[in-house]
Amino acid sequence: MASAQKQVQQLARQFFKLSTDEGVLSAERVAGVLQYIEKHRPAHSLAVLKAYKRLIATEIARGQAVVEHAGPVTESVLAGIANSMTQRYGRPVVSLSRPNDTLLAGLRVRVGDDVYESSVSGQLASLASAV
Amino acid sequence: MSTVLEQIEQQIAKLSSKAVKKNTGNIRTVADGVAKIDGLSDVMYNEMVQFAGGAIGIALNLEEAEVGCVVLGDISQLKEGDEVQTTGRLLSVPVGKGLLGRAVDALGNPVDGKGPVAATESYPVEKIAPGIIVRKSVSQPLFTGIMAIDSMIPIGRGQRELIIGDRGTGKTTIAIDTIINQAKINKVGLAGSDKSFRPVYSIYVAIGQKNSNIVRTMAALEAAGALEYTIIVAAPAADNPANQYLAPYSGAAMGEWFMENGMDALIVYDDLSKHAVAYRQISLILKRPSGREAYPGDVFYLHSRLLERSARLDGKGSLTALPIIETLAGDVSAYIPTNVISITDGQIFLETDLFNQGIRPAVSVGLSVSRVGSAAQIKATKQVGGKLKGELAQFRELAAFAQFGSDLDAKTKAQLDRGARIVELFKQPAFSPVPIELQVAILFGMQRGVFDTIEAKKVVAAAQSMKDFFSTRKDALLTEIRTKAALDNDLEAKLQAAMDEWKATFTG
Repeated sequence: MASAQKQVQQLARQFFKLSTDEGVLSAERVAGVLQYIEKHRPAHSLAVLKAYKRLIATEIARGQAVVEHAGPVTESVLAGIANSMTQRYGRPVVSLSRPNDTLLAGLRVRVGDDVYESSVSGQLASLASAV
Repeated sequence: MSTVLEQIEQQIAKLSSKAVKKNTGNIRTVADGVAKIDGLSDVMYNEMVQFAGGAIGIALNLEEAEVGCVVLGDISQLKEGDEVQTTGRLLSVPVGKGLLGRAVDALGNPVDGKGPVAATESYPVEKIAPGIIVRKSVSQPLFTGIMAIDSMIPIGRGQRELIIGDRGTGKTTIAIDTIINQAKINKVGLAGSDKSFRPVYSIYVAIGQKNSNIVRTMAALEAAGALEYTIIVAAPAADNPANQYLAPYSGAAMGEWFMENGMDALIVYDDLSKHAVAYRQISLILKRPSGREAYPGDVFYLHSRLLERSARLDGKGSLTALPIIETLAGDVSAYIPTNVISITDGQIFLETDLFNQGIRPAVSVGLSVSRVGSAAQIKATKQVGGKLKGELAQFRELAAFAQFGSDLDAKTKAQLDRGARIVELFKQPAFSPVPIELQVAILFGMQRGVFDTIEAKKVVAAAQSMKDFFSTRKDALLTEIRTKAALDNDLEAKLQAAMDEWKATFTG
C-alpha cells in the first residue's frame, strides 16, 4: 500500500517535471502529458492524475497573486502588487483581482501558501483571537 | 506642535495598516487526532499551527506533499478544506509558583475549577537538556520518607530514579509518599531559622490514568497538606493521545522553571509506559515506520530527551525525576523498561510476591539500585544503615537455603532472625513518610540490637511505639540529629539513653 502510494507520487513528480519548460509551466506540455496518460493508462492512473493535478495547482498558485478586495482596485495597484511579488519571490508573478465584500475594507493577497493580510476583517479576527 | 503629532499619528497609521504575512495550508484529512495538511510550505518541525476555530496543533511530520499535525483540543469542529496557519512559535506552557496547588492539562489550562492560573511566564514544552559544563554532580539528598529507600537506595537532588513494577505493587504510592515528605520537610524548613534551607516543589504528571485515580491522588495530597507545594499535570486516559504525549514535556518545562531560578523541584512521570503507548498510537497514525513491539524507531529518544532534562545545575537549582514504568508479569527485559532503565540513574524494583506477602513497600533490595550511591546520603544514615543492604541480601540468600534444611548453626540462625526483623522494620503504611531523623533513631536501635529481643511479628508495633516515643518525648534529640546530620559520641550516648528509656516503657 505504502509502496503503491510512493510509486504514484514518483510518477506524478515525473509528469510534473515533463510539464515545465526551463522551470516554467507550459500549457502545451501539460496537454502532452495528459494525452500520454490517456493513451498508456499507467497503474493507479486516477491517483496519479490527482497527485499530478495537486502539483500543477501548487505551481500555478505560486505564480499568481490573488488580490482579494472589498472596494475598487485600480489596474495600477494590481500591477504594483505583481511587481513587488515578482521581486520578493524571484519569479514571475501575475496578479488577479477577486472582489470579496466580507473583508469590509483593505486587501488580502495570496501567493501560493503565503497570505498577506491587510484587511479590516483580518485585523478584527486577529484582535478577537488576542483578546 | 500639532503637525508633529500628526506626523506621529500618520506613522502609527502606516504601521498599523502594514500587511501581516501568514503561511497557510488546508486540511486534507483529519482522523484520530491527526490532521494531514496541504500547503504550510514554511512550517518548522514541532511548530505550533493554528486551526480555524481556535484549535492548535503541532507539526510532527514534514513531508514533500503534506504536513502531519497532532491536534490538541477538540477535533470535532475541524473539516476537510479548513484553513490552517503557522504561528512561528513552539508550544509553550505557563510556568511559575502560581501553578502550585493547581491541576492543569498538558497545555497548562486549569482543570480543577479554581479559576485562571496566575502565571506570567511561559516556557517551551520542548527544550534541549542542559549540557555537560553547566551540570554538577548529585550530592544533596532528597528524602523520600520511606526507610527502605532512604537507607539502602538513596536518591539525590537532580537524580533520575526509576520506579518499576507490575500493576498494583505500590509504585504510585512511593511517588506520592515522596511528594508528601517534601511538603513536610518544606513546612518544617520554611518555619525554621535556617537561611540556607531549600524547599523542594513537586510536579506530578498523570499520563493515561483514570480520572478517578487522579482525583484520589489529589485528595491524598490535599489531606497531607502537600497540594500547596505541588503542581498536577493531568492527561487522563480519556484525553487524546497528543495530550498524553505532551504532558510529561509540559511538566518538565514547569520543573525547569524552578531549576533555572535556583530552586529544587521533583517531578513524577506516572507512567512512561502509557506515554510510550500514546506515542506509538500517534506514530502509527502518522504512518511512521514501526519497529519492535510496533513502537517507532525514536521511542528511546522520546524518553531520553525527557529524562535528560532533569539535572542539578551549577549555581542554580535541580530537577529530580521519578519516572514510573509498569511491567507485565515482572518482565524487566521488555522494550520500554530496558530503555528507561538504561537512561535513569537507578531503579526501585517492586515485586508482586513481596506485596502479596504483606511486605509493603514491596521493594526488592536485590534488584533495586541507586547509581548515585551514598553520595546522596547524610552521614548519620550512612553510620546506622551502611551495612543494611548487604545484611538483607545475605538474609534473602540464607532464607532460601533454610527452607530445605532444619539444622542451622547459631550464626546462621542469628542472621536469619536479624534479617526477619529488618524486613519487619521496613514495613511502612502508605502516605505516612518517616522524617530522616526518626529513621536514623530507629536504625540506630536496629544496629544496637534493641529489636533483637522482640518477637519478629511484634517489630512493626515496636517500631511504631518507638516512633511515637521519639516524636512526642524526644523532639530536641530529633532536632539535634536533623541539624548535625551526623552521629558523634555525644549524640550516640543520648540516643542509647533514649533507647533504654523506651525499652523500659515498651511492654510489647
